[in-house]
Amino acid sequence: MHNPESLIRKGLPKGHLKDFVVKSVLGLTTYAVVLVALLLFGKIVKDGAPVLFKAEAPFVDLGFLLDKNETLHVFYDAEGVRHQLPAAAYSEYVKTHEDSPIYNEQTFSYSGGGIVGPIAGTVLLTLGSIILALFFGVSAAIYLSEYAKQSPFIHAVRLAILNLAGVPSIVFGLFGFAVFVLAVPVITRAPLDRSLLTVPLLFGDWVVSFQGWNSSLIAGCATLACMILPVVITASEESLKAVPQGFRDAALAMGATRWQTIRKCVLPFSLPGILTSSLLAVGRVAGETAPIMFTAAVAAKDDLPWEALANPFDVLSSQVQALPYHIYTLAARIPASEFTQRAQYGSVFVFLLLVASLSFGSMILRARLRARLKW
Amino acid sequence: MAAPIFKIAMKQRKQSHRYAKQGVSLEGGIRFFFASNAGLTIVILVLIIVFLLKEGLGFFPGYRRELETYRIAGLEFVDISRRNLTAHEELVSVLNRAYQAEINGLAGRELKRMQEALAIHNAFSDKVSGPRDLITTNMDAGLEPQAPLMNKLRQRFEEARKAALGGLPAAPHLTETERRALLEHLATREPNATDDPPLVAETAAEYAAAREKYAAPLTAFREVIDGVESAGSGLGGLVMEMTESVTGTKEAIQRADILEKDRRTLLAAAANAKDPEERNRLTADAEAALAEKPDIEGPMAALMARKPDCVAAHKAVRSGCADLLAKLPESLSQAQANRLLGAARKAVPVFLAGLDEAPARLEAWRHDEPVRTHEAVVKFLTGRDWVTGGEWQDFYGILPLFAGSLMISLIALVIAIPVGVGSAVYVNQFGSRLEQSVIKPVIEFIQAIPSVVLGFIGILVLGTVLREFSQHDWLAWVPGFPIEERLNMFTAGCLLALMSIPTIFSLSEDALNNVPAAYSEASDALGASRFQTTFRVIVPAAFSGMLAAVLLGLGRVIGETMVVLLVAGNRIKIPDFSSGPGAVFQPAHTLTGIIAQELGEVPLGSVHYRALFVVGILLFAMVLGINAVAHRFFNRTPI
Repeated sequence: MHNPESLIRKGLPKGHLKDFVVKSVLGLTTYAVVLVALLLFGKIVKDGAPVLFKAEAPFVDLGFLLDKNETLHVFYDAEGVRHQLPAAAYSEYVKTHEDSPIYNEQTFSYSGGGIVGPIAGTVLLTLGSIILALFFGVSAAIYLSEYAKQSPFIHAVRLAILNLAGVPSIVFGLFGFAVFVLAVPVITRAPLDRSLLTVPLLFGDWVVSFQGWNSSLIAGCATLACMILPVVITASEESLKAVPQGFRDAALAMGATRWQTIRKCVLPFSLPGILTSSLLAVGRVAGETAPIMFTAAVAAKDDLPWEALANPFDVLSSQVQALPYHIYTLAARIPASEFTQRAQYGSVFVFLLLVASLSFGSMILRARLRARLKW
Repeated sequence: MAAPIFKIAMKQRKQSHRYAKQGVSLEGGIRFFFASNAGLTIVILVLIIVFLLKEGLGFFPGYRRELETYRIAGLEFVDISRRNLTAHEELVSVLNRAYQAEINGLAGRELKRMQEALAIHNAFSDKVSGPRDLITTNMDAGLEPQAPLMNKLRQRFEEARKAALGGLPAAPHLTETERRALLEHLATREPNATDDPPLVAETAAEYAAAREKYAAPLTAFREVIDGVESAGSGLGGLVMEMTESVTGTKEAIQRADILEKDRRTLLAAAANAKDPEERNRLTADAEAALAEKPDIEGPMAALMARKPDCVAAHKAVRSGCADLLAKLPESLSQAQANRLLGAARKAVPVFLAGLDEAPARLEAWRHDEPVRTHEAVVKFLTGRDWVTGGEWQDFYGILPLFAGSLMISLIALVIAIPVGVGSAVYVNQFGSRLEQSVIKPVIEFIQAIPSVVLGFIGILVLGTVLREFSQHDWLAWVPGFPIEERLNMFTAGCLLALMSIPTIFSLSEDALNNVPAAYSEASDALGASRFQTTFRVIVPAAFSGMLAAVLLGLGRVIGETMVVLLVAGNRIKIPDFSSGPGAVFQPAHTLTGIIAQELGEVPLGSVHYRALFVVGILLFAMVLGINAVAHRFFNRTPI
């Protein structure tokens, strides 16, 4: 009569159908996101890869990467053959074919030639800002992890880092414009009218004038560096904290000073970690547009940043083209047509390739580092 | 007094170890160096706040002066009438649109046939335009039709024609025979023919006939519209005359303001000048630049003299329109037309009330009433217009930008919260190990896409795709479909959702991970199923962390610039919700977008320039507030 088997529920559990539906809805949304992401990459790769790669050796269209950006001229010659020439080749053509007329000429700004200018500008901006951010960021992290004790100052620093990390990039743009472009001090002989304050120096007629660096590479680097400072500090502090306390204790017990300990026993072990995490910051800096719109970037420039300079340091005070800003210009200022597609999708593809390789590199390096460094 | 301070100093010194080196040392210097670098973060944050405030706070006095000029020059007085005139124009335009929509809706089949025939012809013309233009130019230039060059061109034309005939748009409303006839015509068409193909002309005639036929029963409606339109002409003329006179006064006042500012600069320079001769010269310059006070009272008296005219004009419009508007048809047969008619009917009482109020407002208006600074603040925060660079008057009202930012963020969150949180729950609770190791990196990789690339995708791909999708007939029931503008709030919201999904996903996933294992073990031990454990134990325990994730996602969305600048459509107008939830498909402008768009073009130090900094302050405060709340939730660990 008493049958324990009857207590075990047979068949599907109650609410099985509901559970199944909920689970599949959740799964579907998840895969939908993945699908959208893949579609997005697919679209860019499909339209962008043919611009950069080609079937025959050397398989990469070096012209697109290494030529300067120019206006594209599309026209028909007298025999009805269509030509697409960038500005320089176009004026050459006009010179050599002086007597033959040209019909249906159309021009497309920024669509001819290559994108070496924007690439160079982005590389310079990224390098400059990451050097600044690493210097100040790692120093700050050393203080936070090695020296600091609980104090109101440390509390304020942590609060500042937390808040800086949340400031929108366009506000950093405003800040960079108001501070680095218009207000930081420069040493000059002829201060501008808008200078906030001029302090005469003791020699000659030189003065320190708070008139800013104008829209320039250095102003852009400084703005970007401020923006990623919190990221670099947090990442560096994490790497420093990962070094076992025993290393420090041993060094201090041997009579090393605090600085000797940091230099010989902490920094060497945390440096790989710091550099890896800052690769992620590099990716972010390379992708930002809003902070450099008013502080460094220019839509069109004939020379590369280091060309046509009286002295090599002028590169810091000249405006540069930048890849993200170039893409903004291509997307917003010129209408899409079959002739602009090459410039548009090609630039986006190169840009995405750059940012993705940085981010992938950081991911892989981090995984390898975790596997290697075990204390 | 000195003794206690000395004692405290001694006490502090005693705290360090007695063998520790006293005084300045290299170690102390290094420590100070690192500490100062840590302090740099505080300095940057303070600099951001100081400079935003420095540029931003100057805005309100400047804006107050602009509003004062607006008042004493009499522009405000003219605007009372002008607003009614604008309302009148809008009403007439809506009625006209309803009329056209009704006719076009009734003649919809003919319209579509004509459009399709035209589309085929235009697509063909576009594709052969290059060689065709060459042939016509050369023929015009008197080249023999049999010349070798012409033969070559003809050959090219034929090639282009063959290519073009392959890729012409579909035409569902044309019969197969009609389409074939059109293609045959195009295949044999002379390159220099200028007349329309027969089918295009035929369908156009059909459409014109249909329009005439359907317009006949609507004559009464047409008469109402025309009558209302002509009733506004008197007021229109009056406003135009007054506009001219007050603009002159405003310019005089502004000129005087600029001179006065120059004079102050000169005087300040004179006070600083070292050389007495130069100081005298500057002072003399300053005195010479003394502006003569612009004549305000004269033009103002002339303006006030027109007050009775204005009142009369308003009354004329009122009496002219009221009877006619009562005769508006109850309803129209086409859905679109009916919607527009409904909007017009709703606007009529508001319009008439505005006309009724106008005389009293005109009477009550005083040009010498002072404008206070707090009025400028209120006008900025509650103003419904952001008008800049206009000839009439600049207004800086934050409301349309704020509404745009808010709407886009809401759209983004409505999409991103279920998707982000849902996929976090799925991956964390139900996903297999393989799924976890694939999905997580892909979603986190989305975070690495720069926002300008997403904006680019939106402008070149998503906008067009969404609009084309919305034009399917079977989707017509969706409010707001078919989408009118390619770039709108919804498109921007979709892309921002994609941007915030990784943030929401990874932080929610972390929150789920942080729920102690004991929770799920206890739940399992009590016999709960996997689903009960997930949704009744783990998700509630991780709830505050998920809320923080959503808030941080919101902070990211509100502060995002490039996507909204490229994709939101940049129309500075409060979204019109009268048409229901379809309002999400309207274009808008945003707080971040306006800074990015206008900062590069404004003169330094102008009121407009400062207004952008105030927008920046607002944005800064909003995002910091949201983040602060989010971090408060973060720190609340499950008990």
